[in-house]
Amino acid sequence: MRVGIIPQQSGGSYKFTIYLLASLGLLIATLPVIIIALMSFSAAETTSFPPQAYSLRWYIKMFELFQPNGENSDASLQIALLTSLKVAALVMLIASVVCVPLAYVLVRSGGRLKNGMELLFTLPLVFPLVILGIAFLLIAESLDLELGIWRLVIPHVALVLPFVLRNCVGAMSSIDIELEQAAISLGASPLRAGVDIVVPLMKPGIIAGLVFALIISFNEFTITYFMYTVDVTTLPIWMYSRTVSSLDPSTLAISFVIVLIDLALILLIDKLLAGRNSLL
Amino acid sequence: MSKTKILLLCFPALLTITPFLAACFFIFRFSFSANQGAIEGFSFTPYLELADPFFIRSLLTTFKLASFSTVIVIVLAIPLALVMATVQKPWLRRLLSVAILMPMILNLLIQSYGWIILLGPTGVLNTSLRELGLISRPIMLLFNESGVLLGLVQTALPLAVFPILTATRNISEEHIEAACVNGASHWRCFFDITLPLLKPGIISGASIVFAYNASAFAIPLLLGGRRVQMLGVAIRDYISPLFNWSGAAAAGMVLIALTIGVLALANYLTQRWTVTEYQS
Amino acid sequence: MNLHLEIDAVSKSFGHVSALEDIHVNVERGSFVCLLGPSGCGKTTLLRIIAGFERQSSGHLRLNGKDISTVAPHRRNFGMVFQSLALFPHMNVAQNIAYGLKLRGIKGAKQRERVDELLHVISLPEIADRPVSALSGGQRQRVAIARALAVQPEVFLLDEPLSALDAKLRDNMQIELRQLQQQFGVTTVLVTHDQTEAMMLADQLVVLDRGRVQQCAPPSEVYRKPASAFVADFLGSANIVQAKANAHGSHELFGQVIQLKNKSSQSHSVELALRAEDIQLKASDVNDIEANGEIIMLRDLGPSMEAIVKFEGNQIRVRSNDPELRLLELGRQVSLQFDPNRCIEFA
Repeated sequence: MRVGIIPQQSGGSYKFTIYLLASLGLLIATLPVIIIALMSFSAAETTSFPPQAYSLRWYIKMFELFQPNGENSDASLQIALLTSLKVAALVMLIASVVCVPLAYVLVRSGGRLKNGMELLFTLPLVFPLVILGIAFLLIAESLDLELGIWRLVIPHVALVLPFVLRNCVGAMSSIDIELEQAAISLGASPLRAGVDIVVPLMKPGIIAGLVFALIISFNEFTITYFMYTVDVTTLPIWMYSRTVSSLDPSTLAISFVIVLIDLALILLIDKLLAGRNSLL
Repeated sequence: MSKTKILLLCFPALLTITPFLAACFFIFRFSFSANQGAIEGFSFTPYLELADPFFIRSLLTTFKLASFSTVIVIVLAIPLALVMATVQKPWLRRLLSVAILMPMILNLLIQSYGWIILLGPTGVLNTSLRELGLISRPIMLLFNESGVLLGLVQTALPLAVFPILTATRNISEEHIEAACVNGASHWRCFFDITLPLLKPGIISGASIVFAYNASAFAIPLLLGGRRVQMLGVAIRDYISPLFNWSGAAAAGMVLIALTIGVLALANYLTQRWTVTEYQS
Repeated sequence: MNLHLEIDAVSKSFGHVSALEDIHVNVERGSFVCLLGPSGCGKTTLLRIIAGFERQSSGHLRLNGKDISTVAPHRRNFGMVFQSLALFPHMNVAQNIAYGLKLRGIKGAKQRERVDELLHVISLPEIADRPVSALSGGQRQRVAIARALAVQPEVFLLDEPLSALDAKLRDNMQIELRQLQQQFGVTTVLVTHDQTEAMMLADQLVVLDRGRVQQCAPPSEVYRKPASAFVADFLGSANIVQAKANAHGSHELFGQVIQLKNKSSQSHSVELALRAEDIQLKASDVNDIEANGEIIMLRDLGPSMEAIVKFEGNQIRVRSNDPELRLLELGRQVSLQFDPNRCIEFA
């Protein structure tokens, strides 16, 4: 008889309880998204659940919101989306540019330096977001800094560094030092060997890190909540200010589109890291 | 590698994490400021002033909700991890991972929309209960502690599932088989074998969930409104209506001490247990 | 004599641990030098110092009489084949071979021509477009060699390149490698721990042990006149035996009187080496006084037989293709016979 962590053949009340609780956990984890998905296709004006009939009207309304110069177009939404994308792009660029050389040093030099640096760059992960939000706000306000879009880019970079670095280090660790030395023995300078050999081989890890950076920055709410200004507002903050009084189904349509993009990106990461179980 | 080269390659990354370190230091320094609105002089007043009913109540609420949510999350996460560990089909395992990861990856704002629709006065829960004739007036689930608790459980679930899943690798089928041969029931096996072997994963998962939920901001803000003042929201109130920046900084330091303390304690406990297990 | 690469008094220490001490090796143009020794003897460190990946703690490297001790590895123009081969996994075979050419500004048709030429030399003209992951072990080996030779290196370095291959393939590759080296006439330094490989490939053997050169000579000389017991043992598993001084100013070994060339050691016992194939066994009756050896192990090696004989507490290895040996059995009393001229004295 095969006996596992969960019994295969018999198991009675034990097996039943395990599967019941696991299903409940799965339900709780996914329920909000399922509800948003269903509601965004509702034909009704209100958000009473479940919808009486289904339609694409809220998606049509969403497209109208994004249409430039259209009748229902919403300039503030378009600006917010643009800001979100700009911030995310800058965050991705900066994080990858700084993490690739750092990952190289950490893997190649190893030892105490590696442990210390990894600890330092994991700190933003354990630090409460709300504290980071007010800390950055206090700095920006007390020093009266005119930062523009960098108000958001700087804290977002700190937030994504642990994820990007971790993926870069993971990718770097699998690159045999002899590959670099082979390039050097053929006449490549150490820098050239880095560009020709190390970076191409790190690419899957770098891209995975960047996708994490994109997801985190694009969806960031807490720090942005403290740091946004009238001129620098992201899509999540726009959605928050629009729905603070009541929920509008077109916002749900936007939400579900974001969810789908996030899921697609996650599947991309999963593919990039295939075999290396480092999603978390 | 030469020291200059190491420094040169680390420098960009150190530069990008500097604002984060500056923010940490800034809030620490602000919490000892004699002036509520600017860093000035040195005083313990910000900490002493925290001993008022507003802050104490918020601290208790935070402690209560973080503890309850941790217990519920662990009860759900253990069966989920066991099921995931026994799933054989790769596509099913991937589907489960993505489903469980969703609460972490997706925008907290979007997920709270789902809860608002579900729990609101015209939400699915109230409608169904009313149609079944169990209640005559909508029960209040939103903007009170039960709504926040549900949100906290949902968003923190993946944080516990994955450490416990890692711990299931310590359990071999021989362990369970040995117990079964000795005539233990499935429940006995679970409590005598499985649970103790999962202990390190449970401890680390629980501490992360507690720290994460104690410093939650978006969920209590969106699902709790003004009525559920967890610490994150209370700190926001110090800043926004009260303009007591040093008070916010001091409250923030208390929150950091709480979360880092719990994480450090858990780390200490797991390390001590692993050591004694090797010795015995 | 055409001195090409000169290793002059090179030492290397890692912290307090000394890896190489006062190494002198002269490599002639176009010759094939093998650095041979057990693992941890410092042979790979020496190769990495030649390549420039390690910097010696003291001493000099000279190429054509010019000091290259401080020249960066990418400016030395040495081709190297690594233990892992280090083929670039994100490039196909042709791109791998062309990489060094690309760095030297050789482009277009000229580059293609050279790559084709090398693929023909390694007799794999059809694999140019294949990814390196699709190659067999022997093919990888050849591509790694071709890549290093494509840039017409001053010196060709190989770090145990054949150690990952199975015995038969390794044998073929050794022959091919030697042919390639002669065809290109390139000065070559190869690191190995395999004495047969070293014997077969090298013009000059450098035997290293514990960071010191034990002997530096052509293989036949190292084999026939090992400089020390270590070298004799490491090359061809010789028996290290003690010849006892007798009353007449000569020595005795296995009950046989021998005259040593080294006259200074006449009054005390002397350490000698005697190869397994230079000893014959003679089966004898139980009563024979001379027959005080006992066979304690017999191995059939295919072309020959090997016996281990216990003689006065020592284990003596005997190898022979004499069919008589096959008739002996375990526990048999034997006498050991040898040609005294075959005894190896150490300096």
